Amino acid sequence: MVRFKIRRYDGEKSYWQSFEVPAKKGMTVLEALYYIKENYESSLAFRASCRMGICGSCAMKINDRPRLACETQVLTLGDTVKVEPLDNFKVIKDLITEFDGFFEKHKAVKPYLIRKDDNYAEPKELLQTPEELNEYYIFTLCIKCGACYSVCPAAATLDEYLGPAAMTAAYRFCADSRDEGQKERYEIASSPNGVWRCHLAMECSEVCPKNVEPAKAVQLLRRKTAFSILKSLLGW
Amino acid sequence: MEHDIVIVGAGIAGMRAAIAAAEKSRKLSIALIAKTYPIRCHSVCAEGGTAAVLREGDSFDLHAWDTIKGSDFLADQDAVEFFVRECPVEILRLENWGCPWSRNEDGTVAQRPFGGHSFNRATYAKDRTGFHEAHTLYERMLMYDNIEIFPEYFITNLAIEDGAVQGVSAIQLKTGEMEFFEAKAVIFATGGAGRLYGFTTYSHQVTGDGLAIAYRNGIPLKDMEFFQFHPTGLIPSGILMTEGCRGEGGYLLNKNGERFMKRYAPEKMEIAPRDVVSRAMWTEIMEGRGIEGEYGPYIALDLRHLGEEKIEERLPLIRDAAIKFAGVDPVEEPIPVKPVAHYTMGGIDTNVRCETAVKGFFAAGECACVSIHGANRLGANSTAECLVFGRVAGEVAAEYALNAKQGKISAEFRQKEEKRIFDDLLGKSGDESPYQIKKELNETMDSNMWIFREERGLKEAVKKIQELKERYKNVEINDKSRGFNTDLTSAIEIGYMLDLAEVVAIGALKRQESRGAHYRLDYPKRDDENWLKHTLAYYTPEGPKFDYKPVTITKWEPVERKY
Amino acid sequence: MGVSGWFKFKGRSLFSWAFTFQRLTGVVLLIYLLAHLTYLSSLLDKTGATYESMIAITVSRQFLVFDILLVLCGVFHGVNGFRIILHEFGIAYEYRKPLLVIFTVIAVVVWLYASYVMYSLVGG
Repeated sequence: MVRFKIRRYDGEKSYWQSFEVPAKKGMTVLEALYYIKENYESSLAFRASCRMGICGSCAMKINDRPRLACETQVLTLGDTVKVEPLDNFKVIKDLITEFDGFFEKHKAVKPYLIRKDDNYAEPKELLQTPEELNEYYIFTLCIKCGACYSVCPAAATLDEYLGPAAMTAAYRFCADSRDEGQKERYEIASSPNGVWRCHLAMECSEVCPKNVEPAKAVQLLRRKTAFSILKSLLGW
Repeated sequence: MEHDIVIVGAGIAGMRAAIAAAEKSRKLSIALIAKTYPIRCHSVCAEGGTAAVLREGDSFDLHAWDTIKGSDFLADQDAVEFFVRECPVEILRLENWGCPWSRNEDGTVAQRPFGGHSFNRATYAKDRTGFHEAHTLYERMLMYDNIEIFPEYFITNLAIEDGAVQGVSAIQLKTGEMEFFEAKAVIFATGGAGRLYGFTTYSHQVTGDGLAIAYRNGIPLKDMEFFQFHPTGLIPSGILMTEGCRGEGGYLLNKNGERFMKRYAPEKMEIAPRDVVSRAMWTEIMEGRGIEGEYGPYIALDLRHLGEEKIEERLPLIRDAAIKFAGVDPVEEPIPVKPVAHYTMGGIDTNVRCETAVKGFFAAGECACVSIHGANRLGANSTAECLVFGRVAGEVAAEYALNAKQGKISAEFRQKEEKRIFDDLLGKSGDESPYQIKKELNETMDSNMWIFREERGLKEAVKKIQELKERYKNVEINDKSRGFNTDLTSAIEIGYMLDLAEVVAIGALKRQESRGAHYRLDYPKRDDENWLKHTLAYYTPEGPKFDYKPVTITKWEPVERKY
Repeated sequence: MGVSGWFKFKGRSLFSWAFTFQRLTGVVLLIYLLAHLTYLSSLLDKTGATYESMIAITVSRQFLVFDILLVLCGVFHGVNGFRIILHEFGIAYEYRKPLLVIFTVIAVVVWLYASYVMYSLVGG
């Protein structure tokens, strides 16, 4: 039997509630949460969908570390499992946090391919070699789970900070050989809430469930932004 | 709230429809409603690829023939001919919008072999094709000012008055309040109904909401008894091991280490269509040649001979998932798999323009049935269908909305809907747990409505489902609060699933033949004389009423389906 | 959450510890620098005798503890800062774990040596 201590919130007050869950080998935290919901406390609210680590819904703090509940094995966590909602996000109910702001920041960096010859009616195949694809491919794997944002100390101190996920998305497009919108994104990235707020705590890369390396993306974006500003200052 | 077009469901089909409608006219206001944030849709789980005729040596007729033969000749051939001609341009559009397709050495979009296709035409993005397509569509959608996204709105009903659609009602999950979206046109792109089954590849959220709501409002559902069972579902979770594993050369082995597919499909072997492979695997298991394991007998999916480099290059997600969820590294050991419920061939009856029986109401994607896939879907055709028909639905709805008058939802409808949900369902007391009902539903579907069906089992399933529907009337929802009440939404979902299960079970009982994914042990032959027709199910308070309509045949007469 | 976000260590890696110490030592050094400059510019005469008497007070056993702590702040901030500069140029990101360990060890070794030198200066 494993004891689950869950931090609950009903809109007014926050409190802990414990449940005993019969855990067997292979059971994930998400399965345990469903077990609790279906057998003990059906008002327990959490987000979940794909249960295979690709939709990004179930990111939460498990034993103080943000993880995807569907990918975390219960029996590796010890006798007591503490489950809490992600830090740096406003809690709506139980383990569900406010994500509108997160997606707004993602939208703010213009995370789409910008090309002058954008032709909806008659698209033409753009060539891209496997090497060019590898330049940015790892940054396309971001599932927007919010784990990186929850451990970022810059995001903790400043609500408007764009955050590692948004800036990884910005870099993903800047490094895509088909993109022509780098200038616009560099301007957004060098705003007061952009890359220059990052001081390399690097915790984001440590907790990313998909090993997207957001800290690296932010640094590469800084490098590109800095050179671009330098070039424009020197009139190149 | 008033909009020109309301799209329910933000998967690949829904998002593609939104973009198509926005491109048609920037003056149209489009609302995209979904019960999760758009990129949390089930479409992101799609892995293998999207089929399209792109290169020399391939032809539209060949793709159409593969699809029609794969469908066991139940597909409407005029729709298929239209469909295959629209796939290539969708691939190129996605490419222009940033989709990271895997490439050949010369920089062109790569394609790989896939089950049932006679040409290597599945374009892919490693083995996360659906994930990348969905993210690309979402990111492109952000460019349009006239698309407003409403995430975490749970749809409860369609408002139809005077024979035309007026809008939809939905619960805003955050506040728990009922919202009414008035519109000129409504598109449903709500996905399939796989969570009817216990062992399934589907996400938790795929509970057939749109299908049930359309059905309850008198719109017929077509061919619902055809459920696809994908050969390779990981044990015990049901997580999909893409068909691409076999496309790249993987083997299926029984307990004697034999590649048993040569006895069932000697030409295509492991890359025969899914229904053929699933039946072969299940037969092996039933005849005692499955490998014994902790969770019952299974078949081994062997990728070891592909080598680590190829697996990392083409199937990285599979390797990751097998290690994380089954503790098995495909480079070292074969993966334990079993056939798993995977796709709903049936859906809301539409024509090739995504129009339904109700004016202003359209459907696209898995929740619609045009029918392209007939009795069995080929791999890599579903994401293609979502893209093509998402686009068609968006354009047709936009054309319709430019000339239609604004929908108005009457006060009477609003009151009735609020009462139905908040008083009659949430407020009442009872002694049944909705989760217990779901568990029993899953058990019945898994045992009686699986790959091999026969009359006694089907009758038992129908009886059980009707019993569960009675018990559901007595269900109590423990969480009485308003804000983010997942207890309420789960209970509503279970209600949807019970309605759909009845349609599926009775439809399967009535269809006395075997075709595609629907296999009857008591009627094992395909019966073109009596059964070359689509099943239509209409809602009545006593249960579904059935009717049939013929299949459209243009070029290809049905022949025996051998691989 | 504000600045308290810097002090959440449960479940965090060593990188977060290094980050927080970089902040803390930075603040300490800034306060020290301002205090140091203010004090020195407040001295009315800048003769050799004033300097000698100041040294006699500050290079002593009583001040040793403060000096050791101050040098720890300075050495750590500088050495860790160099690691950060490397990564900010996108260099050696793949070796970040070994680099963290190596640079911390370098900082500690330099600090221990400096402490030893200071200890012997006060005649210990």
